[in-house]
Amino acid sequence: MSEFPISFTLEYPYTRTLGPVIGPFLTALRDGRILGIRCGGRVICPPIEFDPDTCETLSPDFVEVGPGGTVENWTWISDPSSKHPFQSPFAFVQVKLDGADTTMTHAVKASGPDAMSTGMRVMAQFHETLEERTGAITDVYFVPEADARNQSLRPGAGEVEISTHLISLTYNDTLYPHAARFAEGLLDGKFIGQRLKGGEVSIPGKGYDAIARVMLSEADDVELAPTGTVLSYTVITPVKYRGQKETEPYLSASLILDGAGQTLVQQDIRNIPLDEFRVGMRLRAIFKPVDERSVDDVDNDWMYPSIGNVVERWESTGEPDVPLDELPESM
Amino acid sequence: MEDVAIVAFAQTPCYRRYQDSEPSLIMGLVNQIVAEVEIDRYEIDLTIAGSCDYLSGRAFAFIANVDGYGAWPPVYESHLEMDGAWALFEAFVRLQMGDIDSALIVASGKSSPGTPREIFPLQTNAYVSAPLGLDPVSVAGLQARALLDAGKATERDFAEVVSRSRRDGLSNPNAQVAKDVSVEDLLKQPYYASPLRKHDLPPISDGATAMLIARGKRARELCEKPVWIRGIDHRIESHHLGLRDLADSPSSRIAAGSLGLDAASLDVAELCVRFSPEEIVLRQALDLADGTKVNPSGGPLCGHPVMATGLTRIVEVARRIRNGEAGRGLGHAASGPALQQNLLCILEGDA
Repeated sequence: MSEFPISFTLEYPYTRTLGPVIGPFLTALRDGRILGIRCGGRVICPPIEFDPDTCETLSPDFVEVGPGGTVENWTWISDPSSKHPFQSPFAFVQVKLDGADTTMTHAVKASGPDAMSTGMRVMAQFHETLEERTGAITDVYFVPEADARNQSLRPGAGEVEISTHLISLTYNDTLYPHAARFAEGLLDGKFIGQRLKGGEVSIPGKGYDAIARVMLSEADDVELAPTGTVLSYTVITPVKYRGQKETEPYLSASLILDGAGQTLVQQDIRNIPLDEFRVGMRLRAIFKPVDERSVDDVDNDWMYPSIGNVVERWESTGEPDVPLDELPESM
Repeated sequence: MEDVAIVAFAQTPCYRRYQDSEPSLIMGLVNQIVAEVEIDRYEIDLTIAGSCDYLSGRAFAFIANVDGYGAWPPVYESHLEMDGAWALFEAFVRLQMGDIDSALIVASGKSSPGTPREIFPLQTNAYVSAPLGLDPVSVAGLQARALLDAGKATERDFAEVVSRSRRDGLSNPNAQVAKDVSVEDLLKQPYYASPLRKHDLPPISDGATAMLIARGKRARELCEKPVWIRGIDHRIESHHLGLRDLADSPSSRIAAGSLGLDAASLDVAELCVRFSPEEIVLRQALDLADGTKVNPSGGPLCGHPVMATGLTRIVEVARRIRNGEAGRGLGHAASGPALQQNLLCILEGDA
């Protein structure tokens, strides 16, 4: 059996309001300054909204700290992750900025671990331009004091009130054995389901029977005919959103293959006019030519299973419609 | 306080990459437990699952997992985006209400498709830490240095934890990484997040653990050797690393105090040591005695199925009480960077 590698990127573009403490802190960073907040007799940096001992709300009483500071703790990162501030080796440190009573955890760019020590002096360095300084914790980094450049920075305009953070994570897997057999079937122009212990056929299978609570194997695979009945449909009118590719209204149908116990959902219908489309209509899958079939979007996910990009179109079989009260049941 | 006992448990091996679905990991465990206690699955009053959709990048993966523990006939269930040890805590508290008798706890995770070092910064402060990609490995490096600078440990101490744990893993059939390796050989390895070396880190694992608990009378009906939960508590420290002493674990100490933990009475302690310095922090904070065997399973350094790692510690203690190796033990679970949050569970067999 072939192996089907799958890779996908999960993205959550967060925009967050910053509030009365983090807002001024990030505004100051954009302008090349670092703020701590007074809390009782001490100054906490990065500032927080609540007194950690009493949980009382802190009033926004800020104190400028740094730009110099003392390294209280450090670790040399020899193999940075793609999310780290530097892609070549660097140090994460806990730096107590001059005027602050707590440490800030941040990154130091240095020549190597030999340049690092507890107690060493470091200096804040800000990115030079306002394009690079967006009002984020990454507007600044630190260097050993001797490496520091003098900076003359132009402050930005207005308050930073929103932060944006694109979470982007890439995952790599391969299709599980049952999904790989399903994909291989699609490339061969076949619908391969799995027969459950109660007799129904699940398509695609899940690799197990959730009712009988047993794992299924290749011996439970069954091929279904490429014919079925429309159970439901809707007209999708595209709205614009991130990633949307559709522009014109189209039909999306749920249909059930003959012998299946479960519907194929979200089958696009673009060749049958809306006024000719009916629940109960009999359809047949016309597969694409072999060299045009793709299963790139077949996935281990079970919620909205894809049947890949192998069907050219669903067309009428010419058989009479199935009466509404005789429609097959589905799980 | 209602008496509550662990009546059955099951776990999968820790896999580097388990090539099938998360529900299929769980299903076998639940079937095994139900068969062992000879009840129907629908006789279990409550099911609580602990898992994390971010691990394998599947939105609503926790819904798919319901297939694993079974929802037909419909079941009373709940889910936590936390290690299963916290699901156990919730179930324990729920059983105190006295109207239901039993609860199934299911913990599962598949870390293999993703990149944990990129995912776990999302657990940290979204404004000042997550955008730096501040990951658990890097914070563990800071914790290690804090111990060295405080004179509470040496690099040799870290290596001794690794050497002993990986050797103990050789007798654990569920271990993923186990070997006999000397402290001297470990100390020759290069740094990764200095002063940590790569062997001070846990492996990336897929795996699951499940447990059935019940109130006193029901527990005795369901098994011959109930393992009693004598206390369970959890405490958390600040998200602001600058407000924490990384060389100490005050949250563990507070949890131990609230439980009245008598450390000298413990035959065994399974600690959620994901990075070797964590064992040193926990031993000191909990004031463990020399006579207490620590992590005889090898601990998370031999297998780290995130979301099940903590519950697995409690299972490893229960297993040793049930087979007579121990009379009383402590299971520990942790969450967040550098032991930010700690859960303690005291277990005891019948006298």
